Amino acid sequence: MSLTDRIARGLEAGWKVTDGATLTHNQTHEADVVVIGTGAGGGTTAEILARAGLSVILVEEGRLYYQKDFKMNELDAYASLYQEGMSRVTKDGAIAVLQGRCVGGSTTVNWTSSFRTPDPTLNHWASRFGLDDLSPDAMRLWFDGREERHNIEPWVTDPNVNNDILRQGCEALGWSWEVIPRNVKGCWNLGYCGVGCPTNAKQGALTTTIPGALDNNARLFHGLRADKLVMKQDRIDHLQASAMAADGVTPSGITVELKAKHFVVAASAIGSPGLLLRSDIPDPHNRIGKRTFLHPVNATIAEMPDTVDPYYGAPQSIYSDEFNFSRGVDGPAGFKLEVPPLHPAMSAGVVPGHGEQQVSDLSKLPRMNSVIALLRDGFHPDSPGGTVSLRDDGSPVLDYPVTDYLWAGLKDAFYKMAEIQFAAGAKQVRLMHLDSPWYTTWADTKAGIDKLTMAPHRVRLFTAHQMGGCGMGNNPEESVVNGFGEHHQVTNLSIHDASVFPTSIGANPQLSVYALAARNSTRLAQKLRS
Amino acid sequence: MSETLPQSVQTEAPATAMDRRSFLRTGLGGALFLGTVSVTAGLSGCASAPAGRDYPMPEAMDQSYEFRFLTRDDIVLFKALLPAMVGPGLAEEQVVRRQQIQATIERIDAGIHQFGPANQKELRGLFDLLNFGLTRVTVARVWSSWENVSPETAHAFLERWRTSGIGLFNNGYIALTKVSNVAFYGHPDHWHLSGYPGPPGFAVDSLPQFKDNA
Repeated sequence: MSLTDRIARGLEAGWKVTDGATLTHNQTHEADVVVIGTGAGGGTTAEILARAGLSVILVEEGRLYYQKDFKMNELDAYASLYQEGMSRVTKDGAIAVLQGRCVGGSTTVNWTSSFRTPDPTLNHWASRFGLDDLSPDAMRLWFDGREERHNIEPWVTDPNVNNDILRQGCEALGWSWEVIPRNVKGCWNLGYCGVGCPTNAKQGALTTTIPGALDNNARLFHGLRADKLVMKQDRIDHLQASAMAADGVTPSGITVELKAKHFVVAASAIGSPGLLLRSDIPDPHNRIGKRTFLHPVNATIAEMPDTVDPYYGAPQSIYSDEFNFSRGVDGPAGFKLEVPPLHPAMSAGVVPGHGEQQVSDLSKLPRMNSVIALLRDGFHPDSPGGTVSLRDDGSPVLDYPVTDYLWAGLKDAFYKMAEIQFAAGAKQVRLMHLDSPWYTTWADTKAGIDKLTMAPHRVRLFTAHQMGGCGMGNNPEESVVNGFGEHHQVTNLSIHDASVFPTSIGANPQLSVYALAARNSTRLAQKLRS
Repeated sequence: MSETLPQSVQTEAPATAMDRRSFLRTGLGGALFLGTVSVTAGLSGCASAPAGRDYPMPEAMDQSYEFRFLTRDDIVLFKALLPAMVGPGLAEEQVVRRQQIQATIERIDAGIHQFGPANQKELRGLFDLLNFGLTRVTVARVWSSWENVSPETAHAFLERWRTSGIGLFNNGYIALTKVSNVAFYGHPDHWHLSGYPGPPGFAVDSLPQFKDNA
């Protein structure tokens, strides 16, 4: 097996990879650049810098898991590959946050949907945040390059039934739908992207940029938590980090100090503001952690007349943007429509209920379809996003109040999702809401949604996309970094992840992160080598 | 849930002039409230240490699991809740049923261990509130201690928290059902209940990671 797996082969060939749990004494290391985080942003950055001949140290709080560990097992995967063992929620508990915590970050567990940043989003950034350099024309070559690097192409195989229901519903209603581009190579169409790709087909950071960086002499510490960037005068001197025990959650007591000329933070929209806040990084306009976005997601489930097998096949292959930008970029809350894969543990956690009703609901799984709406937050004044702050123990937490503007969008999405499912032939539909029964007709559902209480906890909300919190912009009074990810105040600090987005993306964000990190890392490499 | 919380609970609120429901709806109020209960529970002799290998399942055949988060009281709580939580999903046969409950509680504990300190603290507050006699009666409105609670009573409690107009109770309902449902339905022993056939056989047969451990 070791001969066929990219990671196993690299480890055998002598990659510099250190598991924090194996460290027995405090130590110091030095490199040209320390990159914190190994997801879409950190992986891209590390590969580009290492290929440019710079010495790079990568730091990852989660552990290194790869093909040998990916056994299509939900419970093990959720406990080991996700933030807070899949229990991460917003501050009041109302939104469940699905986010990776392992080498490769969320790209190791995402469902492979790979969209370019929509033109209206880039144009909005130009007009609202002065980011003219990120126009669709200027970004095109970076998207082209990253699509090649991650083998991103529209999915050519037929969609699975779960996705086809979205297509059929849209088709019947005259609403637009498209095929999703995916970052896969030789995909087996199994359906287990969310628990770590078992076949190495997924071209996330774990199988592309991380190996690329390690092949070029980068060093990776995993199971090592970045605690604090320590300043000396006006520059960052070193990163202070804590090794984690083999369980991945308990600090072992061993500390590591990492010195560098430059530091790139790519620890996610929750992790990056958290690290900057813990480090007391200069923040004269109090911007760190502000305007954090989530693409809040609500969902409906349907019982279909025939077999759906929603646990098998490429999890996401069809989407609809019918309601995303159609009412203006800063009009009423727009949303993208997609479907989620449904495996038993995920379904049991998402479908709210207990007892006989729950046994009955979950027994429908083989004939179940679900549609999700991803709300485009951050484009309207009534959608200012959430705020990342620190808990007493220094860990970051996101306070994300759902505004009336978003509730209106979520309610609208409930109508559209249920209508799609009935149009595709659903026998009955249930909203993911504590009060929702199963509805057997579209008319009843519509009447039910009319009366529905839109309130935290009662409406089940999720997010798999965290963005913002260290927003970029030309005006330092309302942003943390400039359009190249360079910190406005600290000259040897860059931020290369989704935290720099000044709004949400309006699409699954991985390709937006890859492309912007590639652009900004190419410039950083030039600067550091000159 | 209750429109009026009993006097004993009201007196613990630092802002008695505030409308009780709006107080409980706020995260801050909720945190203070649960914090109060946790402290009180600790002082009143509720078990607060993880149960380790010492837990009240004398009937269990396998005692090898070491609890790292759940206390003896928490275990009793889940023994009472699970029959209502997963209801007819449990086997009729008593020995099998007990094993299913034990294994599910062990998986809940293992799962919570991976949650990390912040969410563990939240759950500690919730479990203490349910275990501490005064709040069990006043807030959960469960009159007898959990070891004597019938599945019907446990179901009624879950229903009150599910249908409550108070967000904090809805949140408690979600927390309890989520950890239980995921640990129960997510395990291969119970996949048949959801009709999930498991990972595709051809993939399991041909992928190297399944051969190494065979």
